[in-house]
Amino acid sequence: MMLLLFAGPLLSLAGSPSVHEGVTVYAERLYTSTGEVVENAAIRVEDGKIAAITGGTEAPDGDDVLRAVAVTAGMIDASVRIHTGNFSVEDAHEIQPHRRVAEALDPFDYRWKRMLRSGVTTGLVCPEDRNVIGGFGVVLKMGGEPSIAARTVKADAVVRGAIGGEPSRGNHPARGRPSDFYSRRPTTRMGVEWEWRKAFYDASAAARIPERAFPGSDVLQAVLAGRVPLSIQAWTTQDIRTAVFLKEEMQREGLGEIDLIIDAAAEAWKEPQLLTRSGVKIILPPFDADGRTGPDGAFIAWNVAKMLQDLGVPIALSSHGASDPTQRLARQAGYAMRGGLTFDEALAAVTLQPARMLGVEDRVGTVEVGKDADLVLWSGTPFEITSRITGVLLDGAVVIDPRQ
Amino acid sequence: MLTRALFLSALLAPGGVPDLAAVTPPDSFAIRAARVHLGGGVVVENGMVLVEDGRITASGANVTVPDGVPVIEHEGDLSAGMIALHDHSATRGENYDSTRAILAEAQLVFALDVGHSDLARLASEGVTSIVVAPGPQALVGGITAVVKTTGRAVKRRAQLDVSLSSISLRAARFPTSYAGAVAELTRRFEEAEGAFADAAAGKLPVLLRVGPRHEVQRAVEFAKRLKLVGALYGAPRAGELADAIKAANLAVILPPFDPGDDSRGPKSAVQLAAAGVPFGFALDAPARHPASLRLGAAACMRAGLEPSAAWDALTSGAAAIAGVDGYIGSLAPGMDADLVLWSGPPLDLGSSVVAVYVDGKRVFGGDE
Amino acid sequence: MRLFATWLACSLAAGAAASPIFAPDVRPGTAQEGETLFIKAGRLIVKPGEVLDNAQVIVRGGLIIEVGTGLAKPEGAREIEAAVVCAGFIDPWSTLGVDAASVRDDRTGIATRTVDAIDVFSNDRLRLETLRSGVTSVRTQAGDKSKFGGIGAIVHVAPGTSREAVVVLADANVAASVGLSRGGRKMDVFDRVSEIDKLISEIESGRKYEEDLTEYEHELTEWKVEVAEKEAKLEKDFKKAKKSRTKKVEEAEEKGKEFKEKKYKDIKKPKPPKFDLDKEIMARVARGELPLVVQAHRAGEIRELLDLTEPFDRLRLVITGGTEAVAFAEELAERRIPVIVWPAPLGTTRADELSGHDLGLAGRLADAGVRVLIGSGGSSASRDLPLLAGVAIGHGLDRAAAFEALTLGAARTFDVADRIGSVERGKLADLIGLDGPPLVSTSRVRYVIVGGEVVLTPEN
Repeated sequence: MMLLLFAGPLLSLAGSPSVHEGVTVYAERLYTSTGEVVENAAIRVEDGKIAAITGGTEAPDGDDVLRAVAVTAGMIDASVRIHTGNFSVEDAHEIQPHRRVAEALDPFDYRWKRMLRSGVTTGLVCPEDRNVIGGFGVVLKMGGEPSIAARTVKADAVVRGAIGGEPSRGNHPARGRPSDFYSRRPTTRMGVEWEWRKAFYDASAAARIPERAFPGSDVLQAVLAGRVPLSIQAWTTQDIRTAVFLKEEMQREGLGEIDLIIDAAAEAWKEPQLLTRSGVKIILPPFDADGRTGPDGAFIAWNVAKMLQDLGVPIALSSHGASDPTQRLARQAGYAMRGGLTFDEALAAVTLQPARMLGVEDRVGTVEVGKDADLVLWSGTPFEITSRITGVLLDGAVVIDPRQ
Repeated sequence: MLTRALFLSALLAPGGVPDLAAVTPPDSFAIRAARVHLGGGVVVENGMVLVEDGRITASGANVTVPDGVPVIEHEGDLSAGMIALHDHSATRGENYDSTRAILAEAQLVFALDVGHSDLARLASEGVTSIVVAPGPQALVGGITAVVKTTGRAVKRRAQLDVSLSSISLRAARFPTSYAGAVAELTRRFEEAEGAFADAAAGKLPVLLRVGPRHEVQRAVEFAKRLKLVGALYGAPRAGELADAIKAANLAVILPPFDPGDDSRGPKSAVQLAAAGVPFGFALDAPARHPASLRLGAAACMRAGLEPSAAWDALTSGAAAIAGVDGYIGSLAPGMDADLVLWSGPPLDLGSSVVAVYVDGKRVFGGDE
Repeated sequence: MRLFATWLACSLAAGAAASPIFAPDVRPGTAQEGETLFIKAGRLIVKPGEVLDNAQVIVRGGLIIEVGTGLAKPEGAREIEAAVVCAGFIDPWSTLGVDAASVRDDRTGIATRTVDAIDVFSNDRLRLETLRSGVTSVRTQAGDKSKFGGIGAIVHVAPGTSREAVVVLADANVAASVGLSRGGRKMDVFDRVSEIDKLISEIESGRKYEEDLTEYEHELTEWKVEVAEKEAKLEKDFKKAKKSRTKKVEEAEEKGKEFKEKKYKDIKKPKPPKFDLDKEIMARVARGELPLVVQAHRAGEIRELLDLTEPFDRLRLVITGGTEAVAFAEELAERRIPVIVWPAPLGTTRADELSGHDLGLAGRLADAGVRVLIGSGGSSASRDLPLLAGVAIGHGLDRAAAFEALTLGAARTFDVADRIGSVERGKLADLIGLDGPPLVSTSRVRYVIVGGEVVLTPEN
């Protein structure tokens, strides 16, 4: 009896990614994210990669066959907010593009597993938005060997910063002698914006005058050169405008062409022409029932994804690593469809679009031969409220087993 | 229980005048006990330990006691004194300087008030040596010292205290993040000045303070990258990462055990022992009672740790981690005479401390 | 088996949400309801001071039905063998199985019943570890640090799916505390006096309630007698009265007057005292039916408590904590007031009332003749009770006294000695098998049997 009690954790260990010799996933409908739907598809998985896809076939027999009504690529959450609390970001300086959040993550955190169960196999994790420029974000697999290095898909994937109330929250003007660094940092949105501009101008100057180099100036130069995307959190119209103006100013002044991704852009629908004009990419925050979301009470409309899609703005959806089952990524796709997105567009917004945005489309984001075998098995049409995620494969390993 | 047979032959010399040349030095004596725990799992029945000049000169089953040396008969057990690998006793909270995140050259030996009653309390529970460590807030808190409970320093520069624990990131000064801490520490070790130079060269072990498993992982990677030697302190679940710790050649100092604490802590000891990782116990008195040290070992045995491994972790193993195994931690000849006389087997919580000697001087118990 | 299987399923569900849930298979040979056990002991500690070598115990239907040497194995019985077998340990000062909110609740009252707060599903891992340590029963208490914690219960530490399945004694005691620092605030002399006065006045009102009740019953009996006498008299006088009444009615009619019925003077029925549950329970305390467990630490409180409870000659006081109880050891011994000690090594970070906490307390009290029990300090860490007992022994408590404290001593104090606390015929089969003497740190618990069910074997 007691033996079984301890078998519990052991079984869950057995389910953790040990790459299987090979497995075949048989789907009545395979949505590849390339715009193609394959009926009665057998997906052969070997060595963690997709080895072959055969359409219009009978379900093969065998112990290594997993069946599902529908199969999609593992979803990609473009804004996973699973941190080690305040210690994931350095408060001591407002500008630190050279810090890496990857050094501060906890691979043992139970929330990764929760992401996997909700069908998310890859995600972008950025530093918490407690300072102006917080450092490099990292694209990670949500499971696998418990080490951040082993789970990394792309290190230094983006440089992360924030515009809005958050970078200055908790700071205060110095009265008398400053007691700590919180009394010296920007206390207003205007101050935050100044820090941004100053950082880029300084970095640009440092490129010409080596003595003016500062920690992270090389990183900002890479951002100006468009070699590393810049992810800025900006919830409200005001903050989105500031982000776009920053990009445009750098362009105008000849400092560089920033590859800008605006994260949590809830109010992106208010001034769409700004976005199309400047060529930014948008990550939408989780939808909210009454529309009010984020720390500044930004308003998100149900049709924001549809509107941006129609304008040709690249969009990705995100769950922010939500604990609430109604806020997980598959639901976000459903909400976006409710706002007008087609199924294909919604699927792309949680697979191929974020993969391209983050520069990892060579490995993840579609179901194609040669790509990572990250698959989600569904009991019905994906994103339908009546459909359930029955299984998940991560790098070919069955991490959520549909047979159990 | 403790009887002292004195052979005062010198005093009986003709004329009643002591022949000074023949008088045994006053701190020479021998103790015969029902069981002598020599260390390394060796227990000798009816064994004896001979102490001369504060050192053990002979021990075991066949010890020849020179004429005139008093023999103390003890019906219970005799062992080496226990070593607490991380402690704050007798420092009155002056073991952390809040004005600096990094104070590498600070020596904890100077935080110790040698006359403080904390030390006597330690001795009364069979603890004869402690590693004086800084408070948890510093990023680099200074250099730990191995100190006897008499106040005598065995080693003034034992380890360089280095933190990768979130507790050190809570102050409103740089660093407040893991990435910042790793970067700053890396810079210091690479610049290699003073204590950092010694540590980077492997001459001074590091004491890496950690907590949850991801901090252990981070610290192990840090130590491997910078080729540091030393021990991890403060990770109750270090056992789950025993293989990685073993691969980095680090030791582990397990945090103290309080009644009601998570049982995964004691389980860690079993996992570390199985993986061959050297480990010992922290005490962290005075916030903990000195009796916690043996309580922790008992909890580990309950979780499945072999008694001999538990005893090593309290004595010789601990001495090795602190870099003082040439002086303390066993009853081998040449070692300091830090002795504990017990009413029964020392690992049984039900055995009490009857008397304690440090450097051959009795500091607790006895008949007088 | 059935109960345990459900418990197991629940623990799987709760413990490993991600892991698949299997219905546990039923292996033959694990404890069945009413399974017969044949336990062979190299050394059987029947009860404190009574040891049998090479003895056997037969368990059936959850009870010990035979204890002795040279017993034959009943047919079909499951055989269990251990070097040492003794009764399971009892933690007389625990909060195991009570949810954290109920433990912390400071609004509990005298009539609060701990059994109402017991959560049999709480923390499976902790319960399993508790069993592994050899603790099979606890006195658990809601509102342990409250001024009035209410009625404590003796419960089995065991897999169970209902309160009924684990409760050994639902009404074991009434708990109170005096002089505890609450919310970090130190007690001053006024707080202390008011808390003790409140406690004593509750006992007093319980006794008054009891007296009123007795008086009422007495008056009621008298009233009944009186009424009966009157009725008899009425019956006797009935004919005469009827005759006289008829005559008087006629007379009245003749005179054209209205007839006035002669009124009987009613005998007033005595009223019972107003029902009050708190007083009802304090009445049971005052007459010694339920022990009163009072947590008190400092000399001032203990002195006052002893003085003010002295007039209640039937009150059964039990002191928990007793940090400075040594000063009154003689009186405690003389008045047979047990003290439940918490021999946990405490550093300088501790509650104010525990300043001066001494690991030698248990030994000192026992040496003075006080009945000493050992508890886990009102925590859910009953798991560590045997370790704490070890600490107490190492600091002066006699080993035999410690063993008694953890078994029969605790059972006697809380009136469950007829059911648990020793290995005797007719008692519940709460047994542990060890590979060495109990309460020795190097001995390991190999088997644990609770209520006749084998819940721990060396294999698991």
